Amino acid sequence: MRPVVKDGIGVFSPQGFLDGNSGMSFMTGEDLKYLKNLSIDMLLVSLKNVIFFNHNGLDTFVKLFEDIRKDNHAMVGFCDYDTNKFNAIQNFYPDEMNFSLFKSLDIAYLFSSSFKESNKNILVYSHDKSQRSMIAIELHDNGHNPTLIDNQSDYNNKKDEPSFDYTVDSTFIGQMGQKIASKVSGNAIIYTITSFLDADINDKFNNEYHTNSLNVGFRLFIFESSKVISMNVPALNFFSKLSSSAAEYNATICFVGLKFDKTPIAFKENLEDSGILFYDNMEDILENKELLEELGASSAANIKNKRVINKKTVAELPRFVDATVATIEMMTNSKAQKESVEIKDIVVGDTEGKIASSIGYYGDMDGMVILVFPKEIAKQACELLIGESTDDMELILDTLAELGNIVAGKIKTMLSEDDIKVNITLPRTYQSIESLLEVIDGRKGVQVDLSFNNDEFLFFLTR
Amino acid sequence: MITKDVIDTFIDKIPPAPEALKKTISLLNAGELTQAAKVAESDLALKSYLKNIVNKPIYGFKNEVSDISQIFGILGLSESKKTVYNYMISLLSPSEWKLFQLNQKSFNELQAQLSKKWSIILDFLNINDKDIDSSISLLPSSIIVSDALFSNKIDDVKLLRSTKAIDYNTILNRLCGVDLFDICEKISIKWEMSDKVAHIIQASSGVKPAKDKDINLLGKWMHLLLFYELSKAQFVEAGLNDFIDFQVEYVSEIYEEFSTLMEVS
Repeated sequence: MRPVVKDGIGVFSPQGFLDGNSGMSFMTGEDLKYLKNLSIDMLLVSLKNVIFFNHNGLDTFVKLFEDIRKDNHAMVGFCDYDTNKFNAIQNFYPDEMNFSLFKSLDIAYLFSSSFKESNKNILVYSHDKSQRSMIAIELHDNGHNPTLIDNQSDYNNKKDEPSFDYTVDSTFIGQMGQKIASKVSGNAIIYTITSFLDADINDKFNNEYHTNSLNVGFRLFIFESSKVISMNVPALNFFSKLSSSAAEYNATICFVGLKFDKTPIAFKENLEDSGILFYDNMEDILENKELLEELGASSAANIKNKRVINKKTVAELPRFVDATVATIEMMTNSKAQKESVEIKDIVVGDTEGKIASSIGYYGDMDGMVILVFPKEIAKQACELLIGESTDDMELILDTLAELGNIVAGKIKTMLSEDDIKVNITLPRTYQSIESLLEVIDGRKGVQVDLSFNNDEFLFFLTR
Repeated sequence: MITKDVIDTFIDKIPPAPEALKKTISLLNAGELTQAAKVAESDLALKSYLKNIVNKPIYGFKNEVSDISQIFGILGLSESKKTVYNYMISLLSPSEWKLFQLNQKSFNELQAQLSKKWSIILDFLNINDKDIDSSISLLPSSIIVSDALFSNKIDDVKLLRSTKAIDYNTILNRLCGVDLFDICEKISIKWEMSDKVAHIIQASSGVKPAKDKDINLLGKWMHLLLFYELSKAQFVEAGLNDFIDFQVEYVSEIYEEFSTLMEVS
């Protein structure tokens, strides 16, 4: 069984009866290999469709959690359960639980650094004082406003108040993931680093995510470091190297809130020499538009990758187009017709009512695939995933990103048939063509105009 | 990906029930066990199937049983009819499974497990109805239909399912407005099975409760039984555990009785 991965959380969804005999069979060696190669912040097993489980059944997953937590530095646990299941799990593991429990997947997302929203008002209840505090700290670190309640009746009285966006109960925080939390704020990426920084930072920092972010055009990276106690030379070298590689993309790295009472001041000079900037407060950067512009976060254009389309890319073009057409055909259950293929600047005839998604790939080849949809085709393509027609633009864009992932996954598979290995970046969506054009920034590429049921659809491949 | 035309072609290609089988079923319906055994004896493939099934450990016979009249005699009318239907369904199964890691042996094992436990459930519910008893035979056809329809799109479906937790039944329904259990119903009509069979199968999907209270109750038991079997290591490894969505709420009212009956611990 493969987990469904979305926004940095991988979720397994076994169904029916989970015991010691069946538990192991949910995970083949190939699944495990796939899982270890995934870049995820959190791995969860949903108990939503599990009607029966026993200690042995859970144990097979708990053992797997240990491996994943060590190798991938991800947070691990179970989600989607009722109070009976919550109590049963706690009874099975009375002494120590190294995994976490989240009442629902939505609640789990609040604890994920990949959660797109912040500043949510959250009512928290746990009878365990230390758990209450841990939950509050984690939520606070992820930019939310937790309100703590220490008894069940107060919680019951308050939980329906409309001022709370979420209520958190029957939740347990085990060992946290050790990954460096990251989130997007406008066109800046904010990483949160804490405690003592040493050579382990090489494992905890998600290099793939960072490279992806550079590839898709982010140019400002902020390390929120107010909770850093100190760092040693290997950590210093890590940041110097990171800054040098960012410079190739014309990107900037900043530290916010780093104190030098325990960190040698000479380290600051070293870091400044490698191009890292220091600020006291996050607001000093994020609320200063001129500074943001100067640091490069006002533009999403990707400087390093402003390169021409090459022969290798053109040679593989049919695979890219086939993968895209096959996916859109699958999603819309309609036939596509190729209208024209041309190397040029992207030309979107009528930008009104169109949305787009882009996804980068890198490895043996690199480049970016851009898909421009009339809103109606996008809606139709997303219906298979959503299950109904919707005008909710946020939902459509979110689903469009998933569609971008499917297209890129298919491209990756097709290229691997030619022994070309590529990785794919996080998909990005654009509510307007103007914001897309800002990213492309005049780059030339191959444009393929397609039509699905007489609606125009545009495929653009660039580097 | 899959269109209504593809589904119609699939249904058109389903052969009518072979004459010998129709006659065997008809004789079993009339209570003519000896005559039915004689007709069944003429179909060598059926004979071999019956021998294989009856001699599985789940039936608990110490010595090998090979004579058809002996097999029918041991099974009785209702169980014999169900086993002949199981054979008919197995005729639809592919020579090589593509979507699921199954083979003839493991598919027959699933049929046998479902059949035996369905009988236990019907005994518990004090139901003695040959049509209801044989309705379980049709259930695994939903697995055959999934494999047949999705086998050419395995990579696409896997990609789709790595992005969204979506089962084959839902994909088919969203693409064509027809689901796996509608196709099973069409098979039952083509093979002249009783209406009751089709109604129970539709309810057993877990997403289309029957209006008739008794049929709906049987649908719940069948849905839970299916997932009891699909939670076994052999079928989880075959990729069957999530081929359709398990509806926990639908079966919640019968769960306690089921777990006692099946000795779940």
